[in-house]
Amino acid sequence: MQVSTAATVQRALFRYGLAIGLVSLALLASLALQDSIGNPFWFFFSAAVILSTWLGGTGPGWLAVICSTLAVMYYFTPPLRSFAVTPRELPYFVTFVACEIMVTQLISWRRRTEDSLRQARDELEVRVAERTAELKNANDAVVRQMAEQRRTEETLQATRAELARAARITTIGELTASIAHEVNQPLAAVVANADACVAWLSREKPDLAEARSAAERATQGATRASEVIARIRSLITKATPEKSHVQINRVIEETAALAEGQAARNHVVIKLELSPDLPIVFGDSIQLQQVILNLVVNGIEAMTTVTDRPKMLTLRTQPENKGQIRVSVEDSGVGLTEEVMRRLFEPFFTTRAQGMGMGLSISRSIIEAHGGRLWAESNGTGGGATFQFTLPSEDRPAA
Amino acid sequence: MKEQDPVVFVIDDDRMIREGLQSLIRSVGLRVETFASAQEFLGAKRPDAPACLVLDVRMPELSGLDLQLKLRDGGIPIPIIFITGHGDIPMSVRAMKEGAYEFLTKPVRGQDLLDAVQKAIASDRALRKGRQEVDEIRGRFESLTPRENEVLDLIVAGLLNKQIADQLGMSELTVKTHRAHVMEKTHADSLAHLVRMAEKLKASTRK
Repeated sequence: MQVSTAATVQRALFRYGLAIGLVSLALLASLALQDSIGNPFWFFFSAAVILSTWLGGTGPGWLAVICSTLAVMYYFTPPLRSFAVTPRELPYFVTFVACEIMVTQLISWRRRTEDSLRQARDELEVRVAERTAELKNANDAVVRQMAEQRRTEETLQATRAELARAARITTIGELTASIAHEVNQPLAAVVANADACVAWLSREKPDLAEARSAAERATQGATRASEVIARIRSLITKATPEKSHVQINRVIEETAALAEGQAARNHVVIKLELSPDLPIVFGDSIQLQQVILNLVVNGIEAMTTVTDRPKMLTLRTQPENKGQIRVSVEDSGVGLTEEVMRRLFEPFFTTRAQGMGMGLSISRSIIEAHGGRLWAESNGTGGGATFQFTLPSEDRPAA
Repeated sequence: MKEQDPVVFVIDDDRMIREGLQSLIRSVGLRVETFASAQEFLGAKRPDAPACLVLDVRMPELSGLDLQLKLRDGGIPIPIIFITGHGDIPMSVRAMKEGAYEFLTKPVRGQDLLDAVQKAIASDRALRKGRQEVDEIRGRFESLTPRENEVLDLIVAGLLNKQIADQLGMSELTVKTHRAHVMEKTHADSLAHLVRMAEKLKASTRK
């Protein structure tokens, strides 16, 4: 503050000094040239006033006017070397003074206008700078938010992947436990019967009839164990599916033919409603057949106790939007309770005494491995349930 | 009284295992009865003989552990040999805590099962004998009159005839008569025998 005040005073002194200096120059020039040119002061003093006002401002302008007037009074209006003015010279002198005043006013008005314009421009620049800074801040905030969002998304992605892995491990664990049980059970029967066989033979009087029937049961147990393993292998051991172009309608026709016998035994009518212009899908036809067969067999079994309505199993295909096809298997069976619906796809969950509880769980993983979706719905008042799955399709039609 | 032949109950929902176990146990000359479920076993008439139960833990509806609790609550003391497909520790601890006799994992080695069955039957036989004895003693003691009971309590407490007479306000001779009746009715050979029987009875009612 102090410094700026001192600077202001200094600049004021300079401005006023400039006015005095300019007037002094004008005076010297006028005195020097008065003999060669008539009345040169008009020009020189006017120039001094104009310059003083223009460079120094209104105050120095006025000072220049006063000094010029005094100098002209003293040196150039008769009586010379006196501040008096003869009446004859008065109008001429007044005209000079009036001209000087007018000049200084005009110039200072012009200067003020320019100053205020400059100030307005400066203010505008400041405001523009402020707004620019604000915008920049806002922009930075947006950039930061975007970075944060990206980080959040990355975390979410990682969490999701972790969750999927955990779910897969759980599924594998459940699967292993169920397989272990399925295999261990017949093995226990084999061991018990083989031990019994040996015990009958080791008696003092070996009982061959008992030993034989025990040995036969041991064989049955072993057969059952190998059947379980074959069943599991056929369902899941195909780690790398062999994918090819599949016409799903043909797969369904084949599957329906396979299930014909079981359907007839259960008095179930299989109806096919296949869309003729279905695009082909890319997948493992054997796996897809297993899924469809599983759904068909489930549907037939769901209708075994139905007596009050026709036992109808409808297999339907239709093209979906977004390059997908949809396959649905609709039965008129007992339907799905909420509890069953909730646990339907859990490994090891079954509503049947002989069921392993793996069919739907494996079916779903097959469909998902093909990039599709498998789900179940209740048919509502008509009774029964509909299992449906989608598969991504190729662009070409099946024909 | 002639004791009936011991019997082994086998409960497993898997027919092939059930038949294997039955054949195995029969081969050593034991009587076997098989059941496909816990309910079937509960509904059946059980012979009054030393017995043991070979029980699958994992069965639909009523599990082996559920049956164990039902038998305990129903006051049916019978040693249980559990057989489980997956010998998980919490389950076996629970079963043993509830008094399971043995816990074997599938597949069971024949000799292990037969050993367990023999031991369980021997244990049940001893327990039954103990229970029968107590029942007999109780029968004899229940024939005592209230006055004789009073005298009995004091004899067992170690009082002399004179002291008993003072306490009950009767003559020493009367006490002697009551005492003779007590000894006779309870078939006691000696004072020590009488005290032992009274203790056994007390121990069984405390349980």
